[in-house]
Amino acid sequence: MPDHNGPFFEDIDLGDEIGPIELVATDDNVANFCALWGNPMPNRFTSQEIAEKSGLPGPIVPGVMSMAIMSQALTDWAGPEALKDLDLVFRQPVPHNKPLLVSATITDTREEDGENLIECDVLMMGEAGERYVGGTAIIALPSNSE
Amino acid sequence: MTMELEYNRDLYGVEHEAGPFEITPELIQTFNRSIGETNAMFTDHATAQAAGYSGVLAPPTLVTMLVRNVELPDIELNFGVVRFHAGQRVQSRAPIVAGDSLMASSHLKEVYPKTGRSGTMVFTVWETTFTNQDGLVVADVQESYASRE
Repeated sequence: MPDHNGPFFEDIDLGDEIGPIELVATDDNVANFCALWGNPMPNRFTSQEIAEKSGLPGPIVPGVMSMAIMSQALTDWAGPEALKDLDLVFRQPVPHNKPLLVSATITDTREEDGENLIECDVLMMGEAGERYVGGTAIIALPSNSE
Repeated sequence: MTMELEYNRDLYGVEHEAGPFEITPELIQTFNRSIGETNAMFTDHATAQAAGYSGVLAPPTLVTMLVRNVELPDIELNFGVVRFHAGQRVQSRAPIVAGDSLMASSHLKEVYPKTGRSGTMVFTVWETTFTNQDGLVVADVQESYASRE
């Protein structure tokens, strides 16, 4: 792996924590994402009125975008090619313009098919402890002996 | 109590295809901007080339945005009035690089009920496999939709 600036497999122990990394999805970010996604606007992701009609307090961040944000936090830490598997459950609506705290806790380390893998529980929380998105990730890391 | 779910089981084993999707540098850059992605392997052609790729890499969840282009049939589930996106999984199998052309193929993976504190929900899971122009599987995406009464 060229110019690896992230962690090595040997640096990781069970129970290690990554983050929290703070991110914000602004109104503009969500509108840009929906435009690219091809979701006709206005919709419950961009309009207060449509969101309220759906029983939401306000426009929300699409699940697909929440996943992209959590993926970004993980690849920032581990490297752009490291994320092998990200499996998420959307537990609560994710709000715009509020701090989103992404963290991960290492639950397993193993060698499999020649790769050094770590498994972690991942979480996106709000400032007041809201558990917006949870799940698991599998990340491949280089060895410092390679 | 065992719940008798009714839905169109004939959909198992049927593939629904879409594409090709051209993974242009512009598509990747627009995706990067919408989530504030700045990693040079995703944003800078020269950096990606120096690492041995023909173009910038696509961030691993970019393919999840393409799934909605696959036309999926109604499974005719006899349960629930409210339906929402409950979960999503992406498994990266091989790098996706600017210039790639991907095909998507989706099938019904499973339908199952789950009872928790808030009552019973039925989950419908679709799985989409993305294959590049060389026939290499690059990613699998599972989308889970929950129905509740």
